[in-house]
Amino acid sequence: MISASSSSASSSRKKKMKQAESKWRTAAQERIYRRRLLEALRATASGAGPRAVKEAADSALALTARGQSQWSRAILLGRCRPRRKLLLKAGGKVRRGRRRPRPAAPVPVAAAAPAPAGKKVRDRLRVLGRLVPGCRQLSAPNLLEEAADYVAALEMQVKAMRALADALSAASLNAAAAGEAESNVV
Amino acid sequence: MGPARSSGVGSGNSGAYATEIAESLRFEEEIHSIVHPGLDSPPAAGGSFTALLGLPANQAVELLHETGPSEAPGSAAAPSPTGELWRLRLGEHAAGPLHLPLGCSPTFPSNVALVERAARFSVFAAEDSPALSSGGGPSPRLKAEPPDSDSPPTLLIPAEKTQRLAKRKECEKSKAKGPAKKSKSAEENTAAAAKETAAENTDGEKLPYVHVRARRGQATDSHSLAERARREKINARMKLLQELVPGCSKITGTALVLDEIINHVQSLQRQVEFLSMRLAAVNPRIDFGGLDSFLSAECGPLATANGRGGVALDPALWSSHPVTANGARWLPQPQIRHVDVWPTQQSSTAWTRDGAAHPHALLNPGAALFGYDPASSVSLNSNQLKTEL
Repeated sequence: MISASSSSASSSRKKKMKQAESKWRTAAQERIYRRRLLEALRATASGAGPRAVKEAADSALALTARGQSQWSRAILLGRCRPRRKLLLKAGGKVRRGRRRPRPAAPVPVAAAAPAPAGKKVRDRLRVLGRLVPGCRQLSAPNLLEEAADYVAALEMQVKAMRALADALSAASLNAAAAGEAESNVV
Repeated sequence: MGPARSSGVGSGNSGAYATEIAESLRFEEEIHSIVHPGLDSPPAAGGSFTALLGLPANQAVELLHETGPSEAPGSAAAPSPTGELWRLRLGEHAAGPLHLPLGCSPTFPSNVALVERAARFSVFAAEDSPALSSGGGPSPRLKAEPPDSDSPPTLLIPAEKTQRLAKRKECEKSKAKGPAKKSKSAEENTAAAAKETAAENTDGEKLPYVHVRARRGQATDSHSLAERARREKINARMKLLQELVPGCSKITGTALVLDEIINHVQSLQRQVEFLSMRLAAVNPRIDFGGLDSFLSAECGPLATANGRGGVALDPALWSSHPVTANGARWLPQPQIRHVDVWPTQQSSTAWTRDGAAHPHALLNPGAALFGYDPASSVSLNSNQLKTEL
C-alpha cells in the first residue's frame, strides 16, 4: 500500500480521493448496501413511519462504511441510547459530534487554517459540520474529508433507495394487478 | 482521558459493546467483523516502533491517510485490523499526547495515535530497509519518482513540509549523496528542529526523515511552513470535494464552492427523506420475493440523476407532475412511470391511449432496470386504478 503509492503529494491525494469516491461507486458496495437496506427494512415494524425507514437506511449506510469514517461511527453509535455510557469510555471523542450536547457549540476546531480563514468560509465550514453527522468539532481538513466520503455515500444511498422504492412499488403493483385481473375478467 | 486508556478500554470493551450494538441493530455479523480486531498484524514492530516515534507528525499523517482508505476495500487484505483502526481513530482526538520525545509541533494534536499507526507501518519500513541497503532498492519506487530524486539533488533543503511518504525518504537517504546532504540540511534546517532530531534519531535504524522543500520566494520559518502545509492539505481536500460535487469545478472561491457543497448535501439528504417516505408507504405491502432484480441490478443511468438534475426531477415526479406534466387525467403517480417505460403498450381504454401518446418526459430509468416484465394491458388498466403514493 505505502510502497505502491505515487510520488507527489497531489497524486497521493488523488489516490485517496479516488478511493474515497470510487469506494462508494463500486457495484460491490452498492450490492452490499442494498442487501443491508433490505434487512434493515425488514427489521423495521411495518407502519413505523418514514422516520424509522430513514433511520434504518442511514444505519445500513453507516454499517456499509464499516465504521471507518467519523460520520458513520457517529450514526452507528448514536443509535444505541442505553449503551452511551459504555461507548463514551471506548469511543473517545466520537461523542463530541452528537447533536445533543452543547447547543452552543463553539467554532469547529480548525487548528489555524489561515487560507480558509475568511469569515464566510468559516461560517460555511461550520454549517457543513452541522450537516455531516458527528463532525461538528472537526478541523477543516478532516471535515472536508468526511464531507467527501459522506457525499459519495449519500449519492449511493439515494440511488439504492430509489431503485428499491421503484422495484417495490412495481412489485406490489404487479401483485395487485394479478388480483385485479381476476376481478376484471368478470 | 489518554489515548492509551481509551484504546485499552476500547479493546477491552469492544467485545461487550459490539454485541450490544449488534443486538440492537440486528446486524450482528457485520458489527463483529468491524469491531473485533484480528490482531495478527505487525508482529515485530517493537523495536522500530520506538524509532518511528521519531517520525514527524506529518509523515505519520500521510501514513495514516494512506492506509486508512486503503483498508476499506478488504480488511482481509490489509494487515491492520479495522477494530484497531476503530480504536485508534476514536482515541485520536484525545487531548494530550502520551509522550512526544521530540516536542512535535502542536499543530498535530493527534500525534500519538498517528504515530502508533505509523508504527504499524514500521513493518514495511523494517522489511524494506534490508532491500534498500542491498542497493537495488525498490526500483519501482525509485522509478516512480525520477522528478523528485533528480530534481535538485544537491538542494534537499528541508524547509517546507511536503507530504511525502516514508519509503521515499528512505530511498533518498540510502543514496550515496545522503550523508553529505544530511549534514548540509542539518545546517540549513534551522526551522524544523523537530524534524532534524527525528533525522538524527532515526538515522541508525535506517528510518526515513523528512525532506521538505521551500518553493522559490517563500518564507521558511516554521510557522509559515506549518501554515503552508496545512493550507495545502485543506486545498487538496477542497479539490477532492469539488470533483465530487457536480458543477463545482467551474466555481472559484472557497466560500462559493462550500456553498455548493452544502446545497448538494442538503439536497441529497432531502432526497433520502422523500425516498424514505415512499418506502414507508410501500412497506406494508412488501413482497420480498420479487426483489432479486433489485439486488442484482446496477443503476447506471440513475447516476446521472443525482445532483441538480435529479433534484429537479424528483419533486416533479413526486409532487406536482400529475397535474402539470400530463394534464388533468393522470392522477396516480406510478401510472406515468410505468406507462412511460413501456410506451408500446397500446390498450383500448382511454387511459392508456392517452398514456401512450404522452411524451416520455418523465421516463424513470429506475423502473426500467428492474426486470419488471412488461405488463399486459389488463395490468396497465389496474395500474391506473391503483392509487399509489
